[in-house]
Amino acid sequence: MAVTKKNILNRLNFVLLFIVVFFIAIAAQLVNIQFVEGDRYRGLSEQLTIRTDTIHANKGSVFSADGSLLATSMSQYEIRMDLVTVNGDVFEKNVKGLSKELSKMFGNSASKWETKLRRGKSKKSRYLFIARNVGYTDYVKIKKFPIFNLGVYKGGFIAEQTTVRAHPLDKVAERTIGYDDYRGAPGIEGAYRSYLTGVNGVRLKQKIAKGQWKPINDNNEKEPVNGKDIVTTIDVNIQDIAHHSLLRQLEFYKAEHGCVVVMETKTGEVKAISNLGRSKAGKYYEKRNYAVYESHEPGSAFKVMAMVVALESGKIDTSTVVDTGTGRYRMHGRYISDSKRGGYGEISAARALEVSSNIAFARLIDENFGEKPEEFINPLLKMNLNNKLGLPIKGEGAPLIPSPGHEIWSKNALPSIAYGYNLKLTPLQTLTFYNAIANNGEMVKPSFVKEIRSYDKHVQKFDKVVINPKICSEKTIGKVQEILKNVVFRGTGRSLYEENFSMAGKTGTARTEYGNYQEWVKNKKYISSFTGYFPAENPKYSCIVVIHKPDKTVGYYGADVSGPVFKDIAQKIYTSNHEINLAENKVPEFESVDKNFNKYNKLSDIELKSIPNLKGMAAMDAISILENLGLKVQVEGNGKVVEQSLSEGEKLVKGSTIFIKLV
Amino acid sequence: MKRLLKNIEGDRAIWAIVTILAILSFLPVYSASTNLVYVANNGTTTYHLFKHAFLLFCGFFIIYAVHKVPFRYFSGGSVLALPLVIVLLIYTLSQGTTIGGANASRWIQIPVIGIGFQTSTLAALVLMVYVARYLARNKEKVIIFKESIFQLWLPVAVTLMFILPANFSTTAIIFSMVLLICFIGGYPWKYLASVVGIGVFALTLFVLTAKAFPNAMPNRVDTWISRIENFSDKNAQEGYQVEKAKIAIASGGIKGRGPGKSVQKNFLPQSSSDFIFAIVVEEFGLIGAGTLIFFYLFLLIRILIAAKKATSIFATLLVIGVGLPIIFRAMINMAVAVNLFPVTGQTLPLISSGGTSIWMTCIAIGIILSVTANKEKTDREINDENPLNVLHETIG
Repeated sequence: MAVTKKNILNRLNFVLLFIVVFFIAIAAQLVNIQFVEGDRYRGLSEQLTIRTDTIHANKGSVFSADGSLLATSMSQYEIRMDLVTVNGDVFEKNVKGLSKELSKMFGNSASKWETKLRRGKSKKSRYLFIARNVGYTDYVKIKKFPIFNLGVYKGGFIAEQTTVRAHPLDKVAERTIGYDDYRGAPGIEGAYRSYLTGVNGVRLKQKIAKGQWKPINDNNEKEPVNGKDIVTTIDVNIQDIAHHSLLRQLEFYKAEHGCVVVMETKTGEVKAISNLGRSKAGKYYEKRNYAVYESHEPGSAFKVMAMVVALESGKIDTSTVVDTGTGRYRMHGRYISDSKRGGYGEISAARALEVSSNIAFARLIDENFGEKPEEFINPLLKMNLNNKLGLPIKGEGAPLIPSPGHEIWSKNALPSIAYGYNLKLTPLQTLTFYNAIANNGEMVKPSFVKEIRSYDKHVQKFDKVVINPKICSEKTIGKVQEILKNVVFRGTGRSLYEENFSMAGKTGTARTEYGNYQEWVKNKKYISSFTGYFPAENPKYSCIVVIHKPDKTVGYYGADVSGPVFKDIAQKIYTSNHEINLAENKVPEFESVDKNFNKYNKLSDIELKSIPNLKGMAAMDAISILENLGLKVQVEGNGKVVEQSLSEGEKLVKGSTIFIKLV
Repeated sequence: MKRLLKNIEGDRAIWAIVTILAILSFLPVYSASTNLVYVANNGTTTYHLFKHAFLLFCGFFIIYAVHKVPFRYFSGGSVLALPLVIVLLIYTLSQGTTIGGANASRWIQIPVIGIGFQTSTLAALVLMVYVARYLARNKEKVIIFKESIFQLWLPVAVTLMFILPANFSTTAIIFSMVLLICFIGGYPWKYLASVVGIGVFALTLFVLTAKAFPNAMPNRVDTWISRIENFSDKNAQEGYQVEKAKIAIASGGIKGRGPGKSVQKNFLPQSSSDFIFAIVVEEFGLIGAGTLIFFYLFLLIRILIAAKKATSIFATLLVIGVGLPIIFRAMINMAVAVNLFPVTGQTLPLISSGGTSIWMTCIAIGIILSVTANKEKTDREINDENPLNVLHETIG
């Protein structure tokens, strides 16, 4: 065959054509992938390689009114150890040291720890449990322990961080401060969840390898907004007294549960709220928010409401006399009795409230309003007693004041209501009414939160909310205030009376669970309460104490069971609060004393270089000045200086002796 | 520099194309090296950059050195080199490296430098020169099939035999290239058909043997079969690579994501070599891909011009024999990336960071340049005595 260059080139052109077609095919396929299948693959790319990470916002904290932390988020660590990654020699050399440190921090003997570590090592444990719920400071310390200080890979140190909500005051006011977790969302934490939580941020990350992601941009796609802080109205000091005082009473009276609320009269700010219930083991803890949720028959505490309505109607006055007989009175086929054996006889309406006579109130109300019960019920409703307070905290109990026609209305309903039965109120609702009495008729809503803050800046301030600007006339208020003062002075609350500070309030001893009377008689159960305010004049605080089912063998009267808690709080606030504790200066003022004092002040203020003129000066002032100058003082007589051994203007020599004569 | 440029001979256009491609190669190679560094935990990015620079520098030195050699020497050289290549191939296979239980002995370590060397690439080059030499020597004769079996096909078969167990695709490609140059070189059609027939028969025999005694001969037959099967099956392991490549291409768009911004480089195995084209498209878009194709086509045209201008049949066939495989390798690499072709381990010539495959490409380029340089001083060269001619004649 003869191969010429020409037929080589001819065949080459054929190959060239093939190559060009192939390249065109590649280009076509490129375009196909990009434009026809493009969306699918681009979507796949994002789906496989782009991830949005959540940057968790820090939750806000809850503060007391004075800035103490009530609830905050903090880091906790669970410490574990990977014993496989630790080098054998290193382990042998340091295991004793580590055991010793661990024993110091977590208790147990060092040898126990060593056994545990050695066992883990021989079992090739990669996740040996060391401790949980370790705080940050301890975590930092543990990190520096022998072996652990080698880090994650060489020291096998594993610390798993979790954020937990901590209550620095522990169980105090726990139900009111609340929490926001699997247990539900009670209290302030639950109510202000939206403020506390904050908004999580978003960060886009791109996958760069299996399990490795890098942020795509320098900045977060969405910055996290940290939760706001809640400043509550709680006063830690008052809260502390309230909590412990209530706890002591509950323990003493072996009561089932109880609550106490302290409220600032003018603003309605809740300064303390404590709810303690008995556990199965007989211990008391913040079980439920009784003050907020538990509506019950208020008993005698409600006589104040009845009194207000009666006085307002003009049908009776404080001086209206009512015959309580011998302490047992039949009305509508039912007996009503008073606590005092033999009865109170004929007493005024005011005295009836002071001694808390059931018969008096049943008679006064039934006889005056029996024909038209609405005239009694409607004013109660007008005073917002049948409305919920509208608290932000979950689970407020609904009050119940039946009107005629209501299913629990009967002939006996009206006289029962008069002394606090056949109706329901929560402790906080009762307190709100008493606070209105203290506040000269202005009914303010109890508030738990003062303001919402973010990085020490105000976000929102909560002003007082007035429920009813005037629940009744000033005249009535004045009369009721006077009676409440007398309750403590000479009524059922007289055991609480204290000369040094004044209180006003009303006891309440209500029967409870009396549905089956026979049963009840066998095992009498009471709700003892004390509701009131202090000081009796210009009240600053109002307070309610309710204790359920005290052991009646120990005692059950409101004044005995609940009163002391009230008094404790009043006393403590009285002695610690300067505003209330303004004592008048009883020391008489004399011009000459002032003059002397001024002279002394002048002399002690300037820097003396020579002996000053001391004549006419009181001995204590003269000695004080001279000794401060470094002189030894010899004194003769008493009174004022008449002679001085070193005269005015003489050079001051420290350590020299000066003789002063006093007359 | 000027002196260096003065000493450069041959087609300036080919020099320019090679230089531009080499410079451009730094972009995707540097970018894709993060895959090796952060995923495979191999070296640092700077290490890979300098390694690539070193390989390219050596490559240019090789081009320069080779192009200074008069092309006629390659004819005899191929005869001398072929037995050496076969020995190297046997040595390579004997190492018994395996991937997933199958023989994957494709590399030998070059002592001192410590760079892996894929012997089959050298074998391909030598074989092509050898075939070109055979065709040129028989240009005047009528080729007798029996004769050509001993002189041409036996060496080819022996060489391929030692590549096949470890690397089917390379064997197939080299065989195709040999067939192609035979076709261009005027080897009779009918004989070519017979050779293809024999080749297919031999392959079938090999596959069947491997299937019959799977333990006796660790092999890659299963891999080949699965690869070919998986070309149509999107869910298979190879489908993973192809899908990632397609994602890369799709997300590149017209302008690309920008240099270094490839995302898929982290997930595409061999993103700096076998699948570099996908990374190029992702980072530089259709514009980058077009530029690359343009340069390869330009190189092809310059090779064809060199073939046309060559002074002898050997020179023409030599240029085609070493030049076309470069273009074909580029084509196959791109075709794999765009899923027009089953996954094979072909690098993108002059772009991929393919270790010694760069050098083989450089030898090929050097040979082409040598031919183009020779043309310019034909007269002087012809008068020169070729010292190797003696050897050349005796072996021939």
